[in-house]
Amino acid sequence: MGLLERSDAYWKFLGQCTQCGHCVDACSSLTSANMTLGEIARALLAHERAAGSREDLAARILGDGALMQAVRGCFFCTSCKNTCFAHNDVCDLIYNARVDFQSLGLIERGAWSSVMVDQEWDIFTAYRAIHGIGFADLVRHAESEGHAAETDCAVAFFPGCSLAAYGPDLTREIFATMEELGGKTTLIDHCCGSPLKSAGFFERAEALCDRIADEVALSGAREIVCVCPGCANAMRSTLGRRGLDVAVTLLPAFLTAHGFTGKRALPEGTLCLSKSCQDRDGRYLEETCRALGVEADASTACGACGATGATPGTLGAADGAPGAITIFNGCCGAGGAVSAFDPNRQASQADSKLSFAPDGSTVVTMCPTCTYTYAFRLMSEPRDVANKHYTELLFENQLDWDTVFAQLGGMWSGEYGPWLAQVFA
Amino acid sequence: MSRIEQAGLSQDDQAAKAEGAAGASAGASASVGQENAAGAVPVRVAVIGYGTAGVNALIALRRAGYAGDVHVFSDAATLPYSPILTSYYAGGEKAYEECFPWSADELACLGAEVHLGCPVTALDVAAHLIRTPQGDFSYEKCLIASGAHPSTAGFPATEGYEPLVLRTLDDACRLKRVLEDDACRRVLVSGASMVALKSLEACLRHGVTCTLVGMNPHVLDFNALPAAAERFERGLVAKGIELRLGQTIKSVEVAAADATAAAPSGKLAVTFSTGETDCFDEIIVAHGVRSNLGFLPQGALEVDRALLVDEFMRTSDPDVYAAGDVAQALELVSGERRVVGIWKSAALQGACAGAAMAAELAGSAPQAADAYPGSIPTNTIAVSGTLFISAGSVEMGEGRRAEILEDGDMTVVYVYEDAGDGGERLVGFNVTCDEDVAGSRAYDTGAMLTLRIEAACRRQSI
Repeated sequence: MGLLERSDAYWKFLGQCTQCGHCVDACSSLTSANMTLGEIARALLAHERAAGSREDLAARILGDGALMQAVRGCFFCTSCKNTCFAHNDVCDLIYNARVDFQSLGLIERGAWSSVMVDQEWDIFTAYRAIHGIGFADLVRHAESEGHAAETDCAVAFFPGCSLAAYGPDLTREIFATMEELGGKTTLIDHCCGSPLKSAGFFERAEALCDRIADEVALSGAREIVCVCPGCANAMRSTLGRRGLDVAVTLLPAFLTAHGFTGKRALPEGTLCLSKSCQDRDGRYLEETCRALGVEADASTACGACGATGATPGTLGAADGAPGAITIFNGCCGAGGAVSAFDPNRQASQADSKLSFAPDGSTVVTMCPTCTYTYAFRLMSEPRDVANKHYTELLFENQLDWDTVFAQLGGMWSGEYGPWLAQVFA
Repeated sequence: MSRIEQAGLSQDDQAAKAEGAAGASAGASASVGQENAAGAVPVRVAVIGYGTAGVNALIALRRAGYAGDVHVFSDAATLPYSPILTSYYAGGEKAYEECFPWSADELACLGAEVHLGCPVTALDVAAHLIRTPQGDFSYEKCLIASGAHPSTAGFPATEGYEPLVLRTLDDACRLKRVLEDDACRRVLVSGASMVALKSLEACLRHGVTCTLVGMNPHVLDFNALPAAAERFERGLVAKGIELRLGQTIKSVEVAAADATAAAPSGKLAVTFSTGETDCFDEIIVAHGVRSNLGFLPQGALEVDRALLVDEFMRTSDPDVYAAGDVAQALELVSGERRVVGIWKSAALQGACAGAAMAAELAGSAPQAADAYPGSIPTNTIAVSGTLFISAGSVEMGEGRRAEILEDGDMTVVYVYEDAGDGGERLVGFNVTCDEDVAGSRAYDTGAMLTLRIEAACRRQSI
């Protein structure tokens, strides 16, 4: 092996890049760095050639501000890939680069110490422990005080880390509904590993997904139902790699298939559907629209990504009129752990997405972490815009962000503060 | 240093040893090994062509750990360039040096013995022999990645005039020189394909007045259905481009010294199939391409429209591979072997061939994971701000239906096909957008629909 662990991947990418430069125009981070995707691969390989040791290599990369920006400023939104004539795989390139960055000590510990979601304590498990949130009674495939491990579950429910932590009542309501509709259900109480990948711990993320796959297999479930498109993609990839015959379904599709109709009326005013960047082919958004009872086609979504100022697509009625549906694409700002590298960019990305929502409208997100991110921005910069995860439009329980943020902030200053500071130092 | 560079260096080391043993200088044909009994220089891997497929084959060979010698034969005198960028260069959007995706340093890392300006004149498959002006070379494995050349078929022979074409960097240089000449004010582009439209874009960037003549009723030939093509045509007309669709060039004459005011001296007097005439300073012909296989004797390998290859890019001769414009490989929508002459296919096919050659040279069978996954045709082009994206097949026929979605600035045409199970699958689409903005919904839509076509094809093939 050379000085870089993943140089093969950079060569592969370099071979496939025409260096046409279209990707740069599609992304504010690449524009800032003034680098094409191929130039990222080129720069990494050039630094490797020039370096005499790994320490030297780390210093060279650290001194290359443009390269650092391009690798750490990536949201994994794939706007650049979508614009690339060859649709070259930016995620593969940047994940590999992050692995090398991590291995070379180029990602500061503070950027990831609280999201090591394969360890006992991460920000989600700590939050849940401190605030008494647990689902041991619903994790039927694992033995707990309440029950023995069971292997005859029909469905596994995967709420993901954000929803389970910040919306425990909503999580339970969804679980109960699923069980009513689809039979005996168990809960997969893990993170999909996305934060690990963003921090450059790719293999640990895969190992975590393998553990989840083992649990699903143990439960006997033939279907895993995910709330978030990112979790669904991670599970689809893992189950496919493992050759396990378990279907992966996004919750809206499960609900529609079982004839569920929402328990609430849709809010008045424009619905602004924020398409998840993990929803690569737009199917999850369409499934969500079906479950919500609205008509929309993902191909009408805008390209509100990166450096562009495109306007959102509108369906249903005139822009901003009651009943109109506006769809916007692109990362909410939380992707790729960019906030740890450049918090301002995360904020400006969230602001740019929220700017597509007219006053009085409701932003509807597909990933609970997007909901969290928008809620955080709206707390800092209040606007007359409601912010809802799609599950909140379908179920009774709601996410209470004022309480969540107060509890999150209080964790560090309260009695558990010293412990948290030590664990996440 | 990466594994690839280590493998490349090993090759250099071997070359140095061989040179020492042979007492040879750095002469291209004698730098590795000695001539065999038949007078040919033995090489383990020969690559014919130094473009996208060839370079990606080299990368894959080294990625797979192959450290032996590789000889590359190229009729070009330059480093490999991107054919995608030649129109940008001709139009003045890119500098000459920006047309080369890989630097000399990077290519040197791959440790190949490159014979530039050395066209292969004959490939004797039975004898495992390549003939070149620099001598004969015997190979163990050979990759044909010699690309394609533009066809001018259908263009009437014109005494004293050779039309412009756009394929190679040399073609682009010639076109650029012509377009930069103030005497060139009016250009006729013959053909309505992607290359024709790219040529048109280059002309427009030089402020040249353009007319496009195409035999089909719409531009974009077989890539677009009328609804998408018409929107694109409206964009072209709005930019002052004259369209002569459903017509061909009947004849061309170079106006003589006693020229009339209607056809001044030196101008090209063109008569169209409608009987109308007009004068132009230059004509660009974009009538498709033909595979560069002139060095291959008839019957040497199984050929249809190009060389038929299996999932590891092997031709009918197990020691000869093909990739890029000369290969007819799996196309996902049809499930048949077709030529998909796009950059990404060439890159993936080259990589597949490289990995397979490395495996076989190491005495193993190629790995299923390295098999060519198949491709779908994809195209993206923008002319003066009007964007067109397509993927898959939009040929209409039995069992297919088109759905059109139009709004203020975009037209999307979906083509669905009966899937045979009562449902249907997306097999192709067109997106035409009145503006070309990177990262816009047009690009996102194109990417989403491309993924859907791929997914539907793979489900179908299971």
